[in-house]
Amino acid sequence: MYTMGLDIGSTASKGVIVENGKKIVAVATIPSGTGTAGPTKTVKELFSQLSIERKDIEKLVVTGYGRMKYTDADKQISELSCHTKGVHFLVPTVRTIIDIGGQDAKALKLDAQGKLLNFVMNDKCAAGTGRFLDVMAKILEVQVSELGELSAKSTQEISISSTCTVFAESEVISHLSNDIPVEDIISGIHASVAKRVSSLAKRVGIQEDVVMVGGVAQNSGVVSAMEKSIGMSIIIPELAQVTGALGAALYAFEEMKK
Amino acid sequence: MNTIEAIFEQMNEVICDPGLIVKKYKEETRKKVIGCFPVYCPEEIIHAAGMLPVGIWGGQTDLELAKQYFPAFACSIMQSCLEYGLKGTYNDLSAVIIPGMCDTLICMGQNWKVGVPQVEYIALVHPQNRKIQAGINYLKSEYAHVKKKLEEIGGSEISNEAINNSIEVYNAHRKTMREFVEVAANYPNVITPLKRNTVIRSGYFMEKGKHTALVKELMAEIVKKPVEKWNGKKVLLSGILADSKELLSIFEENNMAVIADDLAQETRQFRYDVPQGKDALDRLARHWSIFEGCSLSYDPEKKRGGIMVDEIKKKGIDGVVFCMMKFCDPEEYDYPLVKKEIEDAGVPTLYLEIDQQMENNEQARTRIQTFAEMLSL
Repeated sequence: MYTMGLDIGSTASKGVIVENGKKIVAVATIPSGTGTAGPTKTVKELFSQLSIERKDIEKLVVTGYGRMKYTDADKQISELSCHTKGVHFLVPTVRTIIDIGGQDAKALKLDAQGKLLNFVMNDKCAAGTGRFLDVMAKILEVQVSELGELSAKSTQEISISSTCTVFAESEVISHLSNDIPVEDIISGIHASVAKRVSSLAKRVGIQEDVVMVGGVAQNSGVVSAMEKSIGMSIIIPELAQVTGALGAALYAFEEMKK
Repeated sequence: MNTIEAIFEQMNEVICDPGLIVKKYKEETRKKVIGCFPVYCPEEIIHAAGMLPVGIWGGQTDLELAKQYFPAFACSIMQSCLEYGLKGTYNDLSAVIIPGMCDTLICMGQNWKVGVPQVEYIALVHPQNRKIQAGINYLKSEYAHVKKKLEEIGGSEISNEAINNSIEVYNAHRKTMREFVEVAANYPNVITPLKRNTVIRSGYFMEKGKHTALVKELMAEIVKKPVEKWNGKKVLLSGILADSKELLSIFEENNMAVIADDLAQETRQFRYDVPQGKDALDRLARHWSIFEGCSLSYDPEKKRGGIMVDEIKKKGIDGVVFCMMKFCDPEEYDYPLVKKEIEDAGVPTLYLEIDQQMENNEQARTRIQTFAEMLSL
């Protein structure tokens, strides 16, 4: 029996199909989010993996920034609740979740049973989010996916402002014109994101185990900067980018049982 | 349309176009209108002078002119109030009273004098040491100054008796509003978050006696209905204000009822009556000395959290939403202390940033929805 979760984010669409609320049987990620063909492509991709159709899905729960606009779902649930559910399924010992997505950063506090106790989100500002890294990668003329690897080669971390993407951009340009190695600048950029997000996480109160999810969790440079900043090790689940969709699929299963 | 809907509609018209209400009032009565800035003005003196006090609490407008006077980190209420003033929206007012209750309000008075000279500015400063006799004497002298200014504007003396009579009108209004929030708590299916706010806020633009009568009529109709069970969650809103139609609708969409509030624009205005006595200005000054639970009234004992916890227990509140006015220092100072007391009482809280210029509420939607899920899932 299949249930499906769809997480329509600001920059990517993610989907997961779960069998009997226990086994993940299909996963898809398309790098275009709300308002694009991304959600439709994601669904198509999932269905083709299992050679099934919409009628084979018992319940579908949608989450993410584009959840209000998606009409084919049985229910919509906020991404924070879905991430909580999805991460707790993958890492039952989790007590703190740090989620850095395309345009927001969130920290969630869970109890031992996986219930969401408290959460904080960034305000209306791109600093400390995936968008911040996108902007920086563009000026540095590197791919976002290369950032983690490049920062590992850094010998000296450069200080970059964590308050504002626009200010940080001009700081990076001035470092570049001073011939500072790109690796060191990237390392500084990662530290800047980590400072911003860890101060957010400290507001909910960080407890181990700490799990990081969202697209930015794939950047090893940000993860190690975060570990340094909070003084704890961070678990990155294998399916870090799709925990929202996974949670939605699990909620869909619960919905079906009602 | 039944009586309840007709009254809601009447109140909604008042809050949708206060400028028109002021114009009509002036044409019909030939009386003057005085603007009252947040948070607390001695409206009773204005009422006693036979003028109409109206609340000035900003609004959603593009900020173009106000930025000449205010830095970007001034709260949006003050930014929009000044913007309206500079654009001439308040030109029908004979004067405004601006109490210097926070750093931004202090600057506001000075900005007003320069930027909006066509609408007279009446200064008012509340004492920090509000409980000692010297503080009461001082505030009395401030109110005497306000009274003198209003006498100059109105051209006639305002008697002690007239102010005492107005205090009775206002105390009756306060009592009625306290009853209203109780009725609203019992009928969340009828009084949605938006309607609750509409009823309270319309009082800022109507003569208080008339508003009292209208609210009483509304309550009389509502209590005829059977009390229905509320299946959603019950929240208490705290902060300076939460009057955005979009924001309040998000609570409703997520099956949350505003069962109580600790908002400066709402319950804090009518939590306490003006005490009894003979000397009207002394009574008004003592009112400030008994005032509790507001970030603007200096309180070394910090009783606000306790007051809220009592309310939470009394009304069975599931969660508290801090509607934090962006850049409001007094509220930000109180927040960590109050939050801790509430969470220690086992009640979850949500931090929601309020900005009157905010046109996109999607982030707030996600937060409110998650909070609703946190309380129910």
